[in-house]
Amino acid sequence: MKYENRTIPEGINVSEEHPLKEFVILAFGLGAMTVLVVALLSFMAGWLVHLIPFSIEKSLSTSSFAASISDRVDLTKEQQRIESYLQQLADELVVAQQLPEGMDVVVHYVDDDTVNAFATLGGNLIMYRGLIERLPHENALAMLLSHEIAHIKQRAPIVALGRGVAVGLALASISGFGDSSMSQQLVGNVGLLTSLSFSRQQEDQADIEALQTLERYYGHTRGAESLFEVLNEGSNVFNPPEILSTHPVTQERIKRVDSFNEKSSELVPYKNLPDFLMKEFKTAN
Amino acid sequence: MNIDLYFFATLLVLGYFFGRMAEKKHFKSIIEREQKYQDVLTFNGRLLPPGMENSKAELVGGNVVISVDYFKRIAAGLRAIVGGRVTTYESLLERARREAILRMKEDAIAKGATMVVNVKLETASITKGQGQQIGSVEIYAYGTALSPMPVL
Repeated sequence: MKYENRTIPEGINVSEEHPLKEFVILAFGLGAMTVLVVALLSFMAGWLVHLIPFSIEKSLSTSSFAASISDRVDLTKEQQRIESYLQQLADELVVAQQLPEGMDVVVHYVDDDTVNAFATLGGNLIMYRGLIERLPHENALAMLLSHEIAHIKQRAPIVALGRGVAVGLALASISGFGDSSMSQQLVGNVGLLTSLSFSRQQEDQADIEALQTLERYYGHTRGAESLFEVLNEGSNVFNPPEILSTHPVTQERIKRVDSFNEKSSELVPYKNLPDFLMKEFKTAN
Repeated sequence: MNIDLYFFATLLVLGYFFGRMAEKKHFKSIIEREQKYQDVLTFNGRLLPPGMENSKAELVGGNVVISVDYFKRIAAGLRAIVGGRVTTYESLLERARREAILRMKEDAIAKGATMVVNVKLETASITKGQGQQIGSVEIYAYGTALSPMPVL
């Protein structure tokens, strides 16, 4: 009997299909699925979060960033005066914006060069000196405060938190199925893009709400555009394309203010910022 | 985020091109050497073929370790979510098995053998369950080489 090893034909264990074809189909398919799941989850989370009472949100925020930032920094007497001035203005704007019963805001003044201001959990507004000192008049400051108060009215911070938790949890469990960090990376980036474009809608709404508040408070909206001009100067480094940015493009925001301004024909002088504020800013620099 | 993404894309592209180049080259060499060593017969049977009773028997073996490239790993990771044939790993293991058998045959030839019986394959993964690492696979082929002895 003759023994032999016959040649085994190629291609039994190795598929002839181009590896890139499979990769592209899988990557795009899974990418699309992820976007869908993230969109659905963040929609549902955003909707459910509105059922959390504001009082619960407030108690949550005592352990959060807002509380820690206000406790850590000891304000001087002058800075306390600024804070209470801001608080007073905010309280008046809260009335003008007709916030629901039981909802209020707490302003925290931070003596720092950062050109920023933001609203966070529990109705806490963080206002940096860097932004306030650039504002030319009270009308621009009121626009800024109204915009942040509008975020509180939308419940934007807790919605963001709810979405973040829901989406983060879902993505972590999806990527847990694969063996690798890569799906985490891929999936994480898709998630970020989607969550950004959601909060942009809230920014647009907050601008409109703030302009309506100014209309009620001053009887006109002129001067609101100064806020965006200041913000634009502050970020002269690089303007990201619209889809990548949380806030709408400045030109569009100024255009929106202009459309509101057209409604009131007479020229009303802007209200100046109080003197002690200007003095304190000068010494701070 | 962007730096992560660029880093990831660069690794992916590098993994794809170098991995594919290495795989093509390796398959070419495997097919060539299989032709060359075709005379050395290999069987997985434990018993000696008739007529080979009067042979010198020796252990021969060949092992190989092949690393997964980044592209293969990512493609397999995506595949792991939906299930199905992990084609990128199939070709990798095919290469490893055939290379291990070839190295065993080379060992047998060096010992003057004409046949290897009772051939077995062992597989080991170098990075067991360590998710963050690029995995490698080891395949060890071994068997009993038979060298014909001069008839006394």
